[in-house]
Amino acid sequence: MKKIGFFLGCNIPFNRPDVEYSARYLLNELGYEIVELEGATCCPAFGTMPSLDLVGWAAASAWNLSIAEEKGVDIITGCGSCYGSLNEARYHMEKHPEIKEQVNKILAKVGKEYKGTTKVWNFINFLYEEVGLDNLKSKIKYNLNGLKCAVQTGCHNLWPSRAYPTNEENTFYPTRLREICEAMGGVAPHYSTITDCCGMGALRSTASEKSLALFKKKLDVIKEEVDPDVNVMGCSSCLLQFDAGQALLVEQKKLDYKIPAIHIVQLAAIAMGADVEKATAMASIPLNGVITKIKGGN
Amino acid sequence: MEEGGVNVIDLTQADESFIKELVELGAEELRECIQCGKCASTCPMALAGLEFFIKRIIHAANLGLRDVLLEDSSVWGCQSCNRCVEICPMDVKPYEVIQAVRRAAMKVESCPANTYEGLRNLYRFGHAVYPKGYEERRKKVGLPEKPPTAISFDELRKKYQEVLKQTILEEIAPFPLD
Ligand code: SF4
Ligand code: SF4
Repeated sequence: MKKIGFFLGCNIPFNRPDVEYSARYLLNELGYEIVELEGATCCPAFGTMPSLDLVGWAAASAWNLSIAEEKGVDIITGCGSCYGSLNEARYHMEKHPEIKEQVNKILAKVGKEYKGTTKVWNFINFLYEEVGLDNLKSKIKYNLNGLKCAVQTGCHNLWPSRAYPTNEENTFYPTRLREICEAMGGVAPHYSTITDCCGMGALRSTASEKSLALFKKKLDVIKEEVDPDVNVMGCSSCLLQFDAGQALLVEQKKLDYKIPAIHIVQLAAIAMGADVEKATAMASIPLNGVITKIKGGN
Repeated sequence: MEEGGVNVIDLTQADESFIKELVELGAEELRECIQCGKCASTCPMALAGLEFFIKRIIHAANLGLRDVLLEDSSVWGCQSCNRCVEICPMDVKPYEVIQAVRRAAMKVESCPANTYEGLRNLYRFGHAVYPKGYEERRKKVGLPEKPPTAISFDELRKKYQEVLKQTILEEIAPFPLD
C-alpha cells in the first residue's frame, strides 16, 4: 500500500474537520495508507514566522518537513497556505544552503535534522498527477451527473511557481481543478475572474469590509458567467470565505443569492460514497441540492 | 497615514539606512523596480481598494520612507499570494519587500495586535489558528477530539517551542516564552 503523510494545518482540523474527515476517506478509497505526522504544527502561517525572519520561518517549516522525512513519506495538504508556506520554506533552503545550515543547527538541539527529501503535494496536483484522472474516474460511485461547478484553485496553489515541484501549464489560466471536476462527471467552465483572490486571510483580518467586497465582486461574476450549482475549492481558506464569508454577506443583506461551496476533497469523497452528513457537517450554506443532484444520478 | 495624504511624498523623510535594512531583511532586488505598475494590476490589496498598495509600497521603500511604511497597516493586508512575484518584469519580488517591511515593523513593535495573537498561539499551542470549541466540531464528524498534531503531544510541543526559542522570536516576542 502506498503511504502519504497527511499535513493537517490549523483551519482544517479545528474549523472544518468535515474536510479532514473527507480527505481521510478519499485517501483511503484511493488506496493510500495515511501516515500521521505526530507533533506537526502550523505551517507556519504567513502572518507569523515568515513576517519575522527567514531563518525562523524555515526552521518552523523544517520542523514539520522533518517529521515526514523521518517516516519516509511525502506530505499532502488541503490548505493553500500550508502548501505555500512549506514549499516556499523548502525553496529558500534549497536555494540558500547557508539558511539550511542555520536551520539544521537549530533543529539539532532537539535531535532533528532537515534533509530536503520530502515532497509537498496539494490535493489538486495529487489527484491530477499522482492519482491520474482515469484512475480517479474508476473509483467514482456516484457520478456528478452534470453538476455545474465554478472552481477556485486558490492563490497559494498557483504562485510563486518557482517554489512548486509541479504546477498548471499556465498559472493565470488554471485548468487542473476543472478537469478533475469533469472527470467525475461535472461541468466546470472557465470564467473571467477564475484566478481572482477570494479575499480571505490577511486582507480579511486587516480590512474585513474591503475583503468581503472584493469577494462579492468575484462571486457576482461567477453568478453571471457560470451560474453554478456549487463553488469547488482547492484551498480550505477559500472555503471559509466562500462558505461562512458568503453566509455573512447574505446576513448583512449585501448579497441576494447563495451558491454553496465545497472543498474538492469533500466533493470527491462524496462521489466515492463517503457519509454525506460527516463530509458536509460544517457547511454554513446547505449543500442539500448538490447532494441530491449527485445521488440522483445513479 | 491619512486618506488622501498618500500623494504627497516628503523627500526630507528619506532614510538611506532604512533601504539597506530592507535589503538585509529580504528585499534584495528592491532597487530594480521601474514603477511599471504590473504588480498593482494583479494585487488583491490594490483591487480591494487599499490606498497604499504594492506599487506605492515599493516606491516608498525605494525612497527610504521609514515612518510612512511602518505607520501604515497596508503591508499587513498582503495576502502573500505571490501574484506580484510571478508578474514583475524586473524580478523585484515585491512580496519579499512586503515581508521585509513587516520584519522591520516587528522589530519596533509596529504591527497590528492580531499579529501577536497568532504568534502567541503558535508558540503556546503549535497552531496560529486555535479556535475554541473545536473538540465538539471534531466529535460531530467522528474524529478524535484532538488532532494528532503538537496539541496532542506535550513532549513534542515543548521541543517545537525549543526550536522557536532559538529564532528571532526570542528577541522580539512581547510575551514570555516559557
Ligand atoms: S515591483 Fe515590479 S511589477 Fe511592481 S512596479 Fe516595480 S518593476 Fe513593476
Ligand atoms: S503577495 Fe501581497 S503584494 Fe503581492 S500581489 Fe499578493 S497581496 Fe499583493
